[in-house]
Amino acid sequence: MSQSNITKLHEGLVNKDFSCRELTEKYLKAIEKDNGELNAYVTVTPETAMETAEKVDEKISKGEDIALLEGIPMTLKDNISTDGIRTTCCSKILEDYTPIYDATVWKILKARNSVLLGKTNMDEFAMGSSCETSYFGGAKNPHNTGHVAGGSSGGVASAVGGNLAVFGLGSDTGGSIRQPASFCGIVGLKPTYGAVSRFGLIAYASSLDQIGPITTNVEDTAIVFDAISEYDKMDSTSKGSSVPVCGSLKNDIKGMKIGIAKEYLEGIREDVRKCIDEAISVYQSLGAEIVYFDIPSIKYALPVYYIIACAEASSNLGRYDGIRYGYKAENYRDVNDMIKKTRSTGFGDEVKRRILLGTYVLSSGYYDAYYKKAQSLRGTIVKAFREAFTKCDVMLAPTVPMTAFENGHAVSDPVETYQTDICTVPVNICGLPAVSVPCGFDEKGLPVGMQLIGNSFDEAKILNAAWQYEKTAGKFRAAGFGVSL
Amino acid sequence: MVTKEEIMKIAILSKLFVGEDEIDKLTEDMSGIISFADTINNAADAESDFDNINELSNVLREDEVVPSLDRDKILENAKDSDEGCFLVKNIMK
Repeated sequence: MSQSNITKLHEGLVNKDFSCRELTEKYLKAIEKDNGELNAYVTVTPETAMETAEKVDEKISKGEDIALLEGIPMTLKDNISTDGIRTTCCSKILEDYTPIYDATVWKILKARNSVLLGKTNMDEFAMGSSCETSYFGGAKNPHNTGHVAGGSSGGVASAVGGNLAVFGLGSDTGGSIRQPASFCGIVGLKPTYGAVSRFGLIAYASSLDQIGPITTNVEDTAIVFDAISEYDKMDSTSKGSSVPVCGSLKNDIKGMKIGIAKEYLEGIREDVRKCIDEAISVYQSLGAEIVYFDIPSIKYALPVYYIIACAEASSNLGRYDGIRYGYKAENYRDVNDMIKKTRSTGFGDEVKRRILLGTYVLSSGYYDAYYKKAQSLRGTIVKAFREAFTKCDVMLAPTVPMTAFENGHAVSDPVETYQTDICTVPVNICGLPAVSVPCGFDEKGLPVGMQLIGNSFDEAKILNAAWQYEKTAGKFRAAGFGVSL
Repeated sequence: MVTKEEIMKIAILSKLFVGEDEIDKLTEDMSGIISFADTINNAADAESDFDNINELSNVLREDEVVPSLDRDKILENAKDSDEGCFLVKNIMK
């Protein structure tokens, strides 16, 4: 698959092969039919979707030009704020919360009349790797519903992989876009920190969080990234991305230096390794030069990530007190008792564990040994990646050391589950962009993904490399759900 | 190794209740997670303190009054409100 679905649907709308109303109804019907099995959506918004579709049809009938993303059915992870549409973070504590403003990314897409089909499932507060910490139960893998869609943006990946949306936006704090994209055999981009506004994204770990697209192919990812990577004065860390990436997708990659850090290949499953080796051969056949090196500090990336992410989470989640929004406990003695009861019954186990860990590493007596040490090691890892990019243009690595877990597997041992994030977290620690692209299947038919990692604001380079691979040896396979295009 | 007493202390700081039935499992889980976090203490000290990524600097706006969110709309999400305010039990007698 290398043809853009967005472009194809856009042409269909412009040529009046079908109306936006027909297209939207097709997706809504598919959701009605298949969401019971996939559990991708937690809120479906048919009225909003049809209203937008009517608007687009009216423009087309009047002969007005429509933008590329106009009339395209899509979804948002349920931690992206939508004015008037409930946004739950898949937590009991926000079960009935309705934002009164739009996240900037949604504001941009809404202004372009993208058709919002609904909000999608995720691990509670984006904390998890299987989507199973969701208060609403986990999203299932469209290639095999006995397996998870991945996490935390499992719902978006299940919806896009299961053809219940053309594209979606997820958020990636330690791999939450790339890992589920890899598990569901589709494309997911974690942009450079600062490239896409985080205003209106319900915070997990502010120095790591980033919003990005999940699509079935590289060109769609590029189209969506170009639309949402605007500078935003509402996000103090926003920089925006100045050069559109779509223009350089098809560039020749002859002579491109692709770096491989050996640490990424340690401990990965053999079948995953085989897919990565095959991808390396594809790049060699395209004239790219493969460069091997070591980044020893990668071995500290996981604990550094969990310390920093949990520390920031314990602070960010301090705001849930039952007073201003969300769930509030009944029967309490005083304000303190109310806040404690609200938080204890409103948060799930994984969220509570991470708040406790974050509080522990920030508490007096442990701050230096954990938080301060992790921050300084973060500096070491950042420096090591900067150094690596003096030797190569992009880096190639597996996205996950294995394929999608069986349902229920990830819940049993927290540390074992954390280990599976080993290949995705370094990018968040360094604020770098990375895209996950399908590169094969295991013997059960579950997808394998690889990452192309770039230097800061080098989205154009990694998407160029990803597009060339997809065109030459793309491994996308449609799953047996939803709308067939 | 994390003790039950430490977990109870952290729970108070986090404004979370930890029940008698949860404490053993939680202590075990947290001990596992903390010893995993401890692996960073095998690393040699880093050369410099980390400040921020991508040399981002804070973007500040002029201190001017701009339209803000509507008070009544904000209060719609609160479980209890009264006369334009969030309602909580009295803190001082």
